[in-house]
Amino acid sequence: MHYRKLMTRAALAGGFAIALVLTVHAARTPAVAAGDLAGGSAGLKSAGALAFGPDGVLFVGDSAGGAIAAIDTADRTPAGSAANINVQGIDEKIAALVGVMPGDILLNDVAVNPISKNVYVSAARGRGPDAAPLVVRVDASGKLTLLALDNIKHETVSLSDAPVANPTARQNPRTQTITDMAFVNGNVMVAGMSNEEWSSALRSIPYPFKAAAKGTQLQIWHASHGRYETQSPVRTFVPYTIDGQQYVLAAYTCTPLVKIPVSDLKAGAQVKGVTISDLGSGNQPLDMVPYKKDGHEFILIANSSFGVVKLHADNLGQYKPIDSPTVVDVAGAPYDKITAVTNVRHLTQFDASRALVLTSAGGGGFGPATGPFNLQTVALP
Amino acid sequence: MFRSLVVAVVLALGMTAAAQSVSIQLDGTLFKVVGPPSGTLTVYAGTGDVPPLAGKTAIENGALVFRPTFPLAPGVRYRAVFTPKGGAAVEKTFDGPARRTTPTARVERVYPSADVLPSNQLRLYIYFSASMSQGEAEQRIHVLDAGGKVLRGVFLPGQELWDPNNRRLTMTFDPGRIKRDLTSNRTMGPPIADSKRYTIVIDREWRDANGVPMVEAFRKVFRGGPAVRHAPDPKTWRVVAPPAGSRDALVIHFGRPMNYTLLQRMLKVSGARGDVAGTIGVTREESEWRLTPLGPWTAGNYRIVIDASLEDLAGNKIGQPFDIDVFDKVTERITTTTVSLPFEIR
Repeated sequence: MHYRKLMTRAALAGGFAIALVLTVHAARTPAVAAGDLAGGSAGLKSAGALAFGPDGVLFVGDSAGGAIAAIDTADRTPAGSAANINVQGIDEKIAALVGVMPGDILLNDVAVNPISKNVYVSAARGRGPDAAPLVVRVDASGKLTLLALDNIKHETVSLSDAPVANPTARQNPRTQTITDMAFVNGNVMVAGMSNEEWSSALRSIPYPFKAAAKGTQLQIWHASHGRYETQSPVRTFVPYTIDGQQYVLAAYTCTPLVKIPVSDLKAGAQVKGVTISDLGSGNQPLDMVPYKKDGHEFILIANSSFGVVKLHADNLGQYKPIDSPTVVDVAGAPYDKITAVTNVRHLTQFDASRALVLTSAGGGGFGPATGPFNLQTVALP
Repeated sequence: MFRSLVVAVVLALGMTAAAQSVSIQLDGTLFKVVGPPSGTLTVYAGTGDVPPLAGKTAIENGALVFRPTFPLAPGVRYRAVFTPKGGAAVEKTFDGPARRTTPTARVERVYPSADVLPSNQLRLYIYFSASMSQGEAEQRIHVLDAGGKVLRGVFLPGQELWDPNNRRLTMTFDPGRIKRDLTSNRTMGPPIADSKRYTIVIDREWRDANGVPMVEAFRKVFRGGPAVRHAPDPKTWRVVAPPAGSRDALVIHFGRPMNYTLLQRMLKVSGARGDVAGTIGVTREESEWRLTPLGPWTAGNYRIVIDASLEDLAGNKIGQPFDIDVFDKVTERITTTTVSLPFEIR
């Protein structure tokens, strides 16, 4: 097994400071049963980031509409011994289902229903501003089912507390792209990036939405690369438990992987996170899957230009928050490169022993999105 | 366009008595079996091992019909298959509407408009004349060095930030290379080097929202300038107040180029009668902001209300540099959201 120290550089001794800037926070209530959701059109303008909540509820990030929809998949039949998924040409199949050429399908995200183990794919039918949002269910047999987004039980929360646009403009040109979502401790956590100002909003919205207003918005600061700090938008993150404490492992658009304790994300608090690792310059983590195997903890990470790596995570709890900007020499968590899995565009957990990957014939990461795209389960290494 | 596609292609069918009385038509977006409705109608929009087209079948006016969930699309060949009860399947293919082929889209302008950009330039805003296709920026935008070599890793990968009309694209220079002392910054340097010459090239092949390439390619030549590390300070801005009774523009000189998109909404002028309505203009390579009022100015005290999130080209906000030297007391920075700059109209 090839081990390699990720970081020994002083630059990665950074901590992350999180300042709460908006505190519209409602008391949490127990997760609503999916049966309580109201029917009708989900009103989605786009279907991007996906995350499963309780009871077969799927959160769909709608960047174009500035909203999150919780939709009832009505998919609550537990999987038996779930079979492997292997769908070759998922882009061609979805294109045929909705009647366009495969090049006019943009695949945006994948998620696995933890109850049924059915796979959900978000996509756009078309590449222009009028592209129709799609959510497609793929079962173990490879059968595709298009979710009727115009008539489905759902609940929606708007993220549009954006600054008032130029009143003379016909349409607000500002958008907040949802880069990732996760359901953590009864909250939908949403990372986003504005197309205008440089901001680092990480929002935490209690579910069900109707009791939640717009949730708590956090501002993320990258606290010490050398002696400087900046706002750092989150690209991808995943909930993770270390020594019994809930964390969010987050990868920033500009920085290494860090851990942020969820319990500290309270109004008025300032939180120090800690750098875990950096996978090299010019590289961006795309998706992360924490898992346990043979008594050890790992994080499988798909990267934009660095392929897939398996991070050894047994000792993440030993990384202490850095309370001062002092430059300290810290070794990053070791990792292995996983060469058996290539061309990955999306990665998510399938079950305790398998991951689900979406791969492209055009290569992984952010290269040209040329098909065919394949959807398949792989054994966690 | 789809509605104009009213096709009534009648298939003269086959050899059997049953088939001889059956035809399949496409009327607008409705596939229809003309003949006995007893059977199944399935439409395919792809070849190989693909699912049938999503839609609903029904009996309408005695005919078996299929309504696709989505409109018919250009370039797609649809294969309708009718299988009568106890009979052999018959099929007919139909082409979707014709693709548009006449190019109309072009790059209208790019901000910053200056030909010298700071080496810590943060964002690039590209304005198109028509709605564009998503998912192509990675292939279609190139930054060349002075020798014409394509540079890699200039922009944040995988981040196409569009406005709702897909007419304005925001690209972000790789912040990992901009932020001082990060790994990328140390190993690769900033995306733009001071005093070096660059060309941004946007390929003509970039398709608009209808799949048609642009009218022409776009090039912008610029030179790298010194990094801008200090925050904009409104106290240093020069305000030129127009005379009372005139409809002349109020002019603010920033002393440096600012973020064009934010200048559209992060400044306003308030007086005793409330906010002054008018037309915003951004001139002199985004270093000047003008408000031309709808009505004449009245004498009195006014203030320019500045959103503290207003940025310059390098992402420095009001009172808050993009990357803050942590030895400069950074913890007190998020205190106010607006800053006021008073002036008087006489």
